[in-house]
Amino acid sequence: MGMALVACAWVMIAGDRPGDPVIEKGPYTLVYPANFGNRIYIPATNPLTKEGVYLGRLLFYEPLLSANDKISCASCHQQKKAFTDGRSFSPGVDQSLTTRNAMTLANLLWVKNLFWDGRAASLEEQAVTPLTAPHEMGRSLEASAHKLSHTAPYPFLFKEVFGSDTISGERIVKAIAQFERTLISANSRYDQYLQGSYQPRPEEAAGMALFNSESQLPGSGRRGAGCAHCHGGPKTFNELYHNNGLDSLPKDPGRETVTGIAADWGRFRMPTLRNIALTAPYMHDGRFKTLEEVIDHYSEHIEQSPSLSALLQNTPKDITGRGLHLTAAGKKNILSFLNMLTDSTFINDPRFSDPHIKQVN
Amino acid sequence: MMRLYGVAGCFFFLLAGLSTANAQQAAEQATVSVQGEVQHPLTLAVADLAKMKRVEATVKDRAGDTHVYSGVPLAEILSQAGATMGKDLRGENMTKYLLVKSGDGYSVVFSLAELDSSFSDKLVFLADQVDGKPLPQGRGPFRIIAPGEKKPARWIWEVRTLTVAFAKE
Repeated sequence: MGMALVACAWVMIAGDRPGDPVIEKGPYTLVYPANFGNRIYIPATNPLTKEGVYLGRLLFYEPLLSANDKISCASCHQQKKAFTDGRSFSPGVDQSLTTRNAMTLANLLWVKNLFWDGRAASLEEQAVTPLTAPHEMGRSLEASAHKLSHTAPYPFLFKEVFGSDTISGERIVKAIAQFERTLISANSRYDQYLQGSYQPRPEEAAGMALFNSESQLPGSGRRGAGCAHCHGGPKTFNELYHNNGLDSLPKDPGRETVTGIAADWGRFRMPTLRNIALTAPYMHDGRFKTLEEVIDHYSEHIEQSPSLSALLQNTPKDITGRGLHLTAAGKKNILSFLNMLTDSTFINDPRFSDPHIKQVN
Repeated sequence: MMRLYGVAGCFFFLLAGLSTANAQQAAEQATVSVQGEVQHPLTLAVADLAKMKRVEATVKDRAGDTHVYSGVPLAEILSQAGATMGKDLRGENMTKYLLVKSGDGYSVVFSLAELDSSFSDKLVFLADQVDGKPLPQGRGPFRIIAPGEKKPARWIWEVRTLTVAFAKE
């Protein structure tokens, strides 16, 4: 099922000094299902290497990158929650809360523009914001680089990865981005079903059918949920921006901040649904605590506004003229399907765990 | 920058319920960029399309209702932008495609050859009117209409950019 992008040889490198880690070096082979496709985003200036991913993982879990030496990327992106934090908004070094919900990091290899509003054109660019924003990790890249240059084993590792022991902000975000690109989630029951190795239970199959069918089939009397327009395909997302009808007066301008175009007001990038059962609360502002609430929203509570997605404006006509009005059984089936998207391999993968924690047998 | 503030301000009026006039104003200000492998990049507004060679087509929507869309053929727009159409559409230019991108990020491609009248009778056009009126919010102000296509997946809404590029594989 997997495909190897890069065939490579690797070598073991022992540290210069006692205590320096022994690491593998060479191109990093990304393995993912062929049905995810190869529309992936890796800058030519930052190819993945085993040593780069190794360093990036250490940095991802490194609290020394924050102003109080206590917060790391992993504080808000916890592996057990598919790299989210279970909060609507996340506290930073000064206990101020972020303005949007921490997003999952699964399968960002296939995402070109990061953040809810797509304002960062690469993972390298994206990482700068949480690292340096005063209400997030709050330490300048220069200060972090200085700190790391006096902390073993970083000088050694930066030399292994970048050819010299110079530690810079650019190198820090490059290594973190390399690690993030390896966070591939592709072994849920849904993936196994797509690969032909899992037979969905009846409620899962019914939920999948409802999820994938059109919301509007004129004259047929049938009602689908129409989820697949945006969350269809093996990856369960398309990189699109939509206003999904949360508010009649959306407070957060979302994509409009990036484009300046009124039609983009309240539009946000749609995230993958992989591991969606693990990433509560939901939406850009974490307003929904459960998936049941999310399904209810799409079923009955779409709010009209000037920039509401055209895909949500023509839900089947009924008493109110808006809303899918799924049945209780239909909702339950969709929930079963969403639970099929949980990938326990991903959240337990030792390659993605905190490397600073020593395994005790 | 002033223009951006103008558009944002317009949006607040929309919220206040003064929708029709301001929606029309927003539509008048909206543009489609023609870029990439073209000699003369263009930024086209509804007023610009009104001055170009126009076509119309009667098509059925998913509900089976008939509508008349009108607009400007993509071939006409591409020729005006100096893309390699007509007698120039040969050799390596046969590997060129048009990437049409929507405001929501949705994108589709057409090969240049399938848009050129010396190759194909298909008349794919950039519509800015349906039944004599501007396209509705969320679907306009610009939409691709490709009469004869069985699925409307390339009848992309809210067109913002037309990019000509080489397939390089």
